[in-house]
Amino acid sequence: MSNATVVLDAGDGNITARIHNNHVVFPVLSYTYPLKLLSPRIQQDGVAVVYMMTYGGGLVGGDRISLSINVEQDAQLVLLSQGSTKVFKARSGVRAAARSTARPPDSTTMQRLDVSIAAGGALFLLPDPVTCFRNASYRQAQTFRLAHGASAALLDWYTSGRRARGEEWAFARYYSVNEVFVSSVRSARDVVLLEAMGTESASDVCGEFLPRRTLADRMGPYSCYATLLLYGPLVQGVIRELEDRVQKITVFQVREPLDVLWSLSPVSGQTNGRIVRVAGKETEEVKKWLSDALRGGLVSVIGDEVYSKTFI
Amino acid sequence: MQVDKETYLLLLLSDANLPTGSFVASAGLESTAAHALFHVPATPPGSDTLPFSETHTLPFARDAHRVTTAYASGEMTELDEALQALSRLDALYDASTLNHVARRASCAQGAALLTLYARGFTRPPFLMLKTPTTYLPLLDERENRAGALVAALKLRVRRGDSDAPGHLPICWGVLAGALGLTVDRGAYIHLFLHARGVLSAAIRMNALGPYAAQQLLLHAVKHMVDDALTSSAHVVSGALQDEIDPEHAEDRLPATTWPLGDLLAARHDLLHSRIFNS
Repeated sequence: MSNATVVLDAGDGNITARIHNNHVVFPVLSYTYPLKLLSPRIQQDGVAVVYMMTYGGGLVGGDRISLSINVEQDAQLVLLSQGSTKVFKARSGVRAAARSTARPPDSTTMQRLDVSIAAGGALFLLPDPVTCFRNASYRQAQTFRLAHGASAALLDWYTSGRRARGEEWAFARYYSVNEVFVSSVRSARDVVLLEAMGTESASDVCGEFLPRRTLADRMGPYSCYATLLLYGPLVQGVIRELEDRVQKITVFQVREPLDVLWSLSPVSGQTNGRIVRVAGKETEEVKKWLSDALRGGLVSVIGDEVYSKTFI
Repeated sequence: MQVDKETYLLLLLSDANLPTGSFVASAGLESTAAHALFHVPATPPGSDTLPFSETHTLPFARDAHRVTTAYASGEMTELDEALQALSRLDALYDASTLNHVARRASCAQGAALLTLYARGFTRPPFLMLKTPTTYLPLLDERENRAGALVAALKLRVRRGDSDAPGHLPICWGVLAGALGLTVDRGAYIHLFLHARGVLSAAIRMNALGPYAAQQLLLHAVKHMVDDALTSSAHVVSGALQDEIDPEHAEDRLPATTWPLGDLLAARHDLLHSRIFNS
């Protein structure tokens, strides 16, 4: 494959991970502002780590990040971030990361991830959660195409905002689409739309009898939600542990909502995939839960050194 | 008093005794209550929630309805073409419903609706002889085609064909289309029946009294249903249209707006004691 020069738009990134003599190398690892990619050297064979970062540690309305990842046969890639992705509300003026001025200014922050994973390959997407600040508008589209025999652990999570500033689900909009295709057949499509309620609606007319009007009412008392998709041979250990855990749960009528709630469901179809959902009153509790739940199954695949970099 | 056929159908479809399989489904309400997250509206007016997030199923029901109408009227000529379109809708709904309890409940109720049409709404043989011969050709053709579609789908679902899970919104759309309802009317009744089913479950769980439930139905549910219909009018299933790029979907894709509900529903089987299947 030739190394043709590709013109990248602002916020674009490309990663190709390939196995070479039992090490993972990057024939392609490119990025443009405000996206930055960093790959630290690690001891473990067969696996590599890439940190996805944004300059300034945050994104503003109008920013667009688009990352394409190609994990080749038998390569294992761990994708992390350094701190929660912070999404600020729109500011006026033209941003350096904004797309061509031909398009009308947009107050939405957009992140796009397109991944393909070859047989024997694996992607462990374990970033920090997305935090949308007051009045922010955020949208993400993540598409994962797995070959038969590919593995993936895909974590996607978000929080209610800066609680220290009293932001409890105070953003304007959060829209997320996660799609997984296995052998070109759609296996899962998870679409979440969270919007601050508008001022005009039938609910206002009818007042008290109607469903809660604010996003905080519908999401509360939890302030962090996580979704984890699991596919392929290399995550079967994780799946087995989770299934053991869920067998031990019996829910008796409670008077107060539990601090952390989680569920495990098989993904329909022939893929033996699983989906884990977690909600917690505190982000730290969800983080701890995830870290504990995945440790056993993942350390045996990616090793201690790499796993210790996750869920910090 | 003369009643048009559609109004008469509404009366039949809103019968609480109609065997739709929804009696054993609480739509996640039982789990919500067990986890101390169901807040009963106080009487007189006080607080909040009625878990109600059916809007993501409407685009599928509407599309299935349109396919059925097209086939029954002869506009779509081949049975296979109709079945394939329904299969695409079913598969997409399956992939979009990521909680196994909801999928299970959806398939059970979907199958019940197909059976309901086949055994409860088709014309019994002994009545056909008495039909005026001038009407016979027109009635028979549309009813025959609708009946054939339902029968073929029902067979696939019964056989456990992987491309015919028989989800509730698809089967509802087929039933409503086979009965000759308009797409809008079909969507409306679907939402109403869902709301009423949830309230009925609340009564049986002793979370709500029967009179309070009626008050909600009259004064609150109507607005909720109207709201849900208008807010989902622009949403398409994505199965019958060209593949929609998620980045540019402009929110036309069916979406979950209450992720907590999904989580709670998925935990239903973990409840120590339960009176519902889902």
